[in-house]
Amino acid sequence: MRHDFYLAWRYLRHHRTRTLILILCLSLIASLPLCLHRVLDAGEYWMTKRAEATPLLIGARGSAVDLTLGALYFAEGEVPAISMREADRVAATGWADPLPVYARFRVRGLPLVGVTLDYFDFRKLNPAQGELPALLGDCVLGADAAERLSLGPGDTLASASGNAFDLAGTYPLKLHVTGVLAKSHAPDDQAVFVDLQTAWVIDGLGHGHAEAQAAASAPDAPFGPATVRRADAGLLTYTEITPENLSSFHFHGDPATYPISAIIALPHDVRSATLLRGRYLDDSAGTAIVRPLEVTRGLLQNIFRVGALFDGILVLVGGAALVLFSLVFALSLRLRQREIETIYLLGCARLTVARLLLAEILLIVLLSGAVCAAVLYASRPFASELARFFILS
Amino acid sequence: MQKLRILFYVYTLLVSLVAASSAWGASAIGEQKLKIVASNYPLAYFAERLAGPRATVTLPAPASVDPAYWQPDAKAVGAMQKADLILLNGADYEKWLAHVALPRLKLIDTSATFRDRYIRIENAVVHSHGPAGQHSHEGIAFTTWIDFDQAAQQAAAVANALIAKRPELKALTLDALQMLQQDLAELDEEIRRITAAKPSLPLMASHPVYQYLARRYSLNLKSVHWEPGEMPPAQEWAELDKTLAGHPAKVMLWESEPDTQVVEKLKAKGIASKVFDPCANRPDTGDFLTVMQQNIKNLKLVFHP
Repeated sequence: MRHDFYLAWRYLRHHRTRTLILILCLSLIASLPLCLHRVLDAGEYWMTKRAEATPLLIGARGSAVDLTLGALYFAEGEVPAISMREADRVAATGWADPLPVYARFRVRGLPLVGVTLDYFDFRKLNPAQGELPALLGDCVLGADAAERLSLGPGDTLASASGNAFDLAGTYPLKLHVTGVLAKSHAPDDQAVFVDLQTAWVIDGLGHGHAEAQAAASAPDAPFGPATVRRADAGLLTYTEITPENLSSFHFHGDPATYPISAIIALPHDVRSATLLRGRYLDDSAGTAIVRPLEVTRGLLQNIFRVGALFDGILVLVGGAALVLFSLVFALSLRLRQREIETIYLLGCARLTVARLLLAEILLIVLLSGAVCAAVLYASRPFASELARFFILS
Repeated sequence: MQKLRILFYVYTLLVSLVAASSAWGASAIGEQKLKIVASNYPLAYFAERLAGPRATVTLPAPASVDPAYWQPDAKAVGAMQKADLILLNGADYEKWLAHVALPRLKLIDTSATFRDRYIRIENAVVHSHGPAGQHSHEGIAFTTWIDFDQAAQQAAAVANALIAKRPELKALTLDALQMLQQDLAELDEEIRRITAAKPSLPLMASHPVYQYLARRYSLNLKSVHWEPGEMPPAQEWAELDKTLAGHPAKVMLWESEPDTQVVEKLKAKGIASKVFDPCANRPDTGDFLTVMQQNIKNLKLVFHP
């Protein structure tokens, strides 16, 4: 038996081009569906885990899928904003704790997410380096975001301008990186987090005033009238919030009207969750409540349907490839007729010839299997990334 | 004899084990102490009275600074972030709130229940005193706790927050609240009784911080913007004379003991100086209750000289 494999191996080595093509074809046919399933499994795990951890989500009435993808996975694509009043309403019911999320902006291709500090407690996100944001203008990076941006505590990062051609629009804000979060294997790893109020400054709802101008306009200080000082103070579109100008930053208007993308509602118990959902039954209201797990499951079912279609196609392609493989082998047998005759004339039994051929097939299958396993192993770290890319992009 | 010795060893071992487990239990209870941060002293006092030894109450503003004009740095914010409860006075008292990142679910606005009764201040002036720099009192009057009925409501808000955090301490907290509200009600009743004697007595205040006191106890009070440690400029004295022409006050209320030169100059105008300390920061001696009792004694001298 050992000699059979030796002779088969020598034969395959001699015809290495043909052998390589066969191995590549077989391994490709086998690894494609397996890789696809790995990506789907990673996507299912990744999405379900996140959705399971998020009991209820409140946002603008419309696409529940867009709302869920935007608030939970920070997917690109603008979700209509709701007002902060909605979060106050949820808190006032006493049935749930609201966690507002404002995920409108992106910074160097990464989601810039405005949250309150409670979000970090809820998602169990702790800084691996540095601290969580403390002051206006601070940000904390997800583990992958820090790696991608090559930034750490003490570095700065400029937010993207709302509109480069809008002279009256918002200016980029220089964010101070205070920390890097420990890896959580969730979309939080790819995000840049700021406090909700910093997100509103980026949105142009808060600004600072030039202190030097203000002081000059108060000649009778310390008893100058406040109204004069305020009227003369020049509006400065700060691009950086520093300890010196921090106190001059303020917001105009009612904070209850400020925008947020969604609210993660954490009900205190099942009864509270039911009561809260009952508040959003009115179809004419501007806001809606969704259960992310239901939305995600619906989305995954669609994805799995596409996956099943791919499986069907791959079975057909695989079948065709096997037929071709058999044909190639049959043709090669015909070409090797004289060689087989010689082996027979040398005194070998017909069975020996069959064993030699079987050893060749077995070796090709084994090598293809090894290549397939290597491809699967190599693709493992990218499965989540690919799932995120194909499902969310 | 041998048996007795063995019994003694077993007994000693058991006693040691019990002592060790008790010590461990005590330290575990110690670890479970609630961490409470209060934005001013009255709230810290309420929390201390209500939670007792079950909480560590911190007032992060330094003793030399009026907490209303204090600006926390990143380190102070980091410490606040680690607290279980952050007690806010509300009524625009914490002006730093817009500049810091704090967990909203831990923020307790103790004056939210009487939000509709906030006093709005119009046409305020900018002035400065101490290291806090220039400021104005425009916006909402924030010395809410010197209306002792409002103080009782703020104490109730603190109690509710404590109970929500530690439901097992509900009975203890409610008992403590009842006692605290009783003390506040006594203060309230005492001031009502004192001020009822001369309801229209004209009074001056050195600083516009007594709005809620004036409203609750129907005081005929007008304010200037003077600081206890500073001699006001001539323009301010002229303004005072103008005010006195239509508001013949014989007493000026101060947040703390004023400068003797100012006292003498006021005395020359026939105005006595009396202290009514809002007690926004931790007092050097005594506590909130003793400071307020002293305030009432001072007020009694105004209405019953």
